[in-house]
Amino acid sequence: MTLAAEPHTYADYDELLEDYYERGWTDGLPVVPPTAEKVQRFLTLAGLEPDEILGSVPTRAVVVTAEHAAINAVMAGCRPEYFPAVVAAVRAHLDEMGNCHSTTGTLSGAVQTVIINGPVRNEWGVASGQGCLGPGFRPNATIGRALRLVIRNVCRAIPGFLDRASFSSPMRYSFCFAENEEASDWVPLHVQRGFAAEQSTVTVASFMNFVPATDMTSRTCVDIANSIVKTMRSKGIGGDKWLGQDHNVVAIVGKEHHRYFIEEGWSKADLQHYLWERIHEPTSGPDDRFCNIGYPEGILVVAAGGAGMAETWLLMPHLAHAITRVIEPAQL
Amino acid sequence: MRDAVELEWAGIPTACVVHTELIGSARAIARISGHETYEFLDVGYPHIPTAIWSPDEIQLIADTLTPQIRELLLKQLPPPE
Repeated sequence: MTLAAEPHTYADYDELLEDYYERGWTDGLPVVPPTAEKVQRFLTLAGLEPDEILGSVPTRAVVVTAEHAAINAVMAGCRPEYFPAVVAAVRAHLDEMGNCHSTTGTLSGAVQTVIINGPVRNEWGVASGQGCLGPGFRPNATIGRALRLVIRNVCRAIPGFLDRASFSSPMRYSFCFAENEEASDWVPLHVQRGFAAEQSTVTVASFMNFVPATDMTSRTCVDIANSIVKTMRSKGIGGDKWLGQDHNVVAIVGKEHHRYFIEEGWSKADLQHYLWERIHEPTSGPDDRFCNIGYPEGILVVAAGGAGMAETWLLMPHLAHAITRVIEPAQL
Repeated sequence: MRDAVELEWAGIPTACVVHTELIGSARAIARISGHETYEFLDVGYPHIPTAIWSPDEIQLIADTLTPQIRELLLKQLPPPE
């Protein structure tokens, strides 16, 4: 297997780290050296040739290959078996409607989240429970970081260059988690989006900001759902001709809210329909805004998180669709 | 910026007006597109969202930019570098 990347030689790891940082090849944190052997191993495991094209950013004259993704996945600290998920995430993000150019260059500092569904969650230990959106879990930390390194190192979204975010976000280091599919009989996100339950997928969504719908006092599904509606409407979601009706918002339903939906027998579809009907009601003032989501399934409801805080996190969309792609099984 | 370059390639004279904070990426896109010296305009003050520009601010921007836009539209796109 012949790689296209120019090889670099260093006396030791410290020299490599300093050179990578000087060249702007890292997110500021240390990286794993992407040796040819490791990159080739990742590609072989995913059954990909180095020059396989995963996607492009035409406005930036960027074409992303499997080799590019493998180099950055190694650098991010991925285990080899995670690489098919990185490939799927890169393909999803570079889908035309994933809108890489806008979502990674915007002043608003939009963030990309990677939601993992299917059997690989348990095989790899992708966190979906307590603390799942934070540090401490290797697949969560490294798969999300690999996508961000591709966005930086290949797609040129570098602060001060094509990344123009005023603040940016610490969530841009990595934002990856799994749905807790075992928590209830809720239909998993990927099945709702047309994939088989036995398939594993990534769903990549670019969002403008996250808004916690914290409600510690409600004890019925209707009251909790109304809190989510109120929080969503406090921000509003505008329409966009290019995005059309397939705009998405992600609702990460925490354990303490989810248990009421389980107890009262609300399906995920029940919650989606309840929310959707109410976010479309006419605005009643500047703090109560219409949310332009085209249909109930456009609200991506995902169960995750641990016990304690009664909250649902809302990821309010940037100018992109959420895109779901299959994680092709590794060639073990 | 890329839209402006592609319109120029299609033979449509174009003037690109850019938010001050996006000048860096506009220059980068122009360079990546093969037109490093492509001229564009800086919208300048105010740096606030367009939705809250006052009528006076809009008038000021229009008065400032209109002659510059006219000048740019009459220039030929130089060949790619």
